[in-house]
Amino acid sequence: MSKSEIPKKLAALEEQVRRGDENEIQKQHARGQLTARERIDAILDKGSFVEEFMLAVTRCTDFGLGEKRKPTDGVVTGYGTIEGRLVYLFAQDRTVMAGSVGSVHAEKISYVIDTARKIGVPVIGLHDSVGGRIQEGLDVTGSIGKIFFSNTAASGVVPQISGILGTCTGVSTYSPALTDFIFMVEGTSQMFITGPTVVKEVLGEEVSGEQLGGAKVHARTSGVADLVAKDDRQCLEQIGKLLSFLPSNCNQMPPRIPAGDDPERLLEGVEGIVPDDMRKAYDITRLIAEIVDNRDFFQLKPDFAKNIVIGFGRLDGYTTGFVASQPLFLAGSLDIDASDKASRFIRFCDAFNIPVITLVDVPGFYPGVKQEHRGIIRHGAKMLYAYGEATVPKITVYIRKGYGGAKQALCTREMGADQLFVWPGVELAMMGAEGAVSVLYRQEMKTAEDAGAFRQQKIDEYSEKFSGPFAAVSKQFAHAALQPAETRMRLIKALRMLLNKSEERPRRKHGLMPT
Amino acid sequence: MATAVTAPIEGKVLQVVKKPGETVEENDVIILLEAMKMEIPVVAPAAGTIKEVKVSPGDSVESEAILALIE
Repeated sequence: MSKSEIPKKLAALEEQVRRGDENEIQKQHARGQLTARERIDAILDKGSFVEEFMLAVTRCTDFGLGEKRKPTDGVVTGYGTIEGRLVYLFAQDRTVMAGSVGSVHAEKISYVIDTARKIGVPVIGLHDSVGGRIQEGLDVTGSIGKIFFSNTAASGVVPQISGILGTCTGVSTYSPALTDFIFMVEGTSQMFITGPTVVKEVLGEEVSGEQLGGAKVHARTSGVADLVAKDDRQCLEQIGKLLSFLPSNCNQMPPRIPAGDDPERLLEGVEGIVPDDMRKAYDITRLIAEIVDNRDFFQLKPDFAKNIVIGFGRLDGYTTGFVASQPLFLAGSLDIDASDKASRFIRFCDAFNIPVITLVDVPGFYPGVKQEHRGIIRHGAKMLYAYGEATVPKITVYIRKGYGGAKQALCTREMGADQLFVWPGVELAMMGAEGAVSVLYRQEMKTAEDAGAFRQQKIDEYSEKFSGPFAAVSKQFAHAALQPAETRMRLIKALRMLLNKSEERPRRKHGLMPT
Repeated sequence: MATAVTAPIEGKVLQVVKKPGETVEENDVIILLEAMKMEIPVVAPAAGTIKEVKVSPGDSVESEAILALIE
């Protein structure tokens, strides 16, 4: 080859890689999926992608790999922009060596994560692979180990987001698990540590991949998935939307995106959303939608631990993390899964300078043998720890009730809430007024002429003196009682006031969150 | 195949909202339970027709007990 032919030859080689294997691409499309390159085009700003290590191939030549090996080694990596903001990403390519993870493939992924960490930009990983490349043996598991190390080093430094767009098995599932958010696709994406074949071999149980680790399972039962999309395109849109709420790294504030929604806007019809009767359930997401800019609330894990709601919204353009009791499910009580879900979210918000707003209507921790034996003590403790540890602005609104220890677990002033408000119908206590009166006046009620009237009178007295809004404001439990309609306006005022909050904690290597 | 409607929480049956033979959409309230001093709506996991309701008001139910069947 003469020197003048080299650039031409390189260009032709790159062009061939970009074009890909028509046969394999058709197979991918037949499954209703996009290819790695199409996914990258869909998520990044047009023309912004810069590919790296495109022509890398595996060093392994055993078991016929010398002839079968192909450029990219089954993963497309590089950087580009989303809404003009830089991100680093990798997309496993099912059309090249089935996206199998060889050592070079794994090294490319580690490089993406390490570089993103150094330059302070989010990492997006798009997973679609047949699994580890068996021919490369120990080299592969070693290189995958390096990915875990890279994920861990980047944790809390830059946002890490995983899209599971195919299968993700064995040890590969732990890289997404070490990232901050996992997005899956209905019907095509699966995650499991040991697949159906191994389950059958070891335990003799027949189970399909979908039953074992499909999107529905991870969205509803295991809590592994944060959001499930109907197809690849929607999944990539959701990842882009999530990123719009986040800063690029832990040293930046999230971008402010004013939406033209009046910060002074009063809420209409909130009384219709939250019933006065404490026994009636309602959907807290309807209230959150009223509060945030343009009703745009991005809920995460909507189908897991439904008794607590988490997600992002904006207030006057500022990204805000919401944690809210959901009275519609399990009366909005706190159980193990709800504690896991919320505490992880709070810690994410804290890591990335996102204020946390907590809306409380909690009857207590969920009682029972099952919860106690599974360790509600250590799991519930995560809630306390996460709120206590967080130094971002924390604002809490008590909507209706806060009973028992669960009240502290939802960020009271003692737990570090910078601003705390109560609605006028609030009831705060060790236990509800009705329960307290039954205990305190057991004897008197037996002898009272009109037991019903006596009981009601005592409930009213107890409520006014100890548990209602008057008690909340006179005992400085709350900064103020709010008219429900003012909630958005007051939250925005408080949020703006807290923007420059800075709070130092004692120096240490790291705290020890209960697990 | 019938779909089971199960109790999300241990509690007492307050009200049976949908009767056998009635058609329901996914997420329609079928039964109201009382637990933790609150009304807990139990919703249809899928659309269909109520085949059988296994509980009556006043019954105590365990968590995950089958309350009704939808076909």
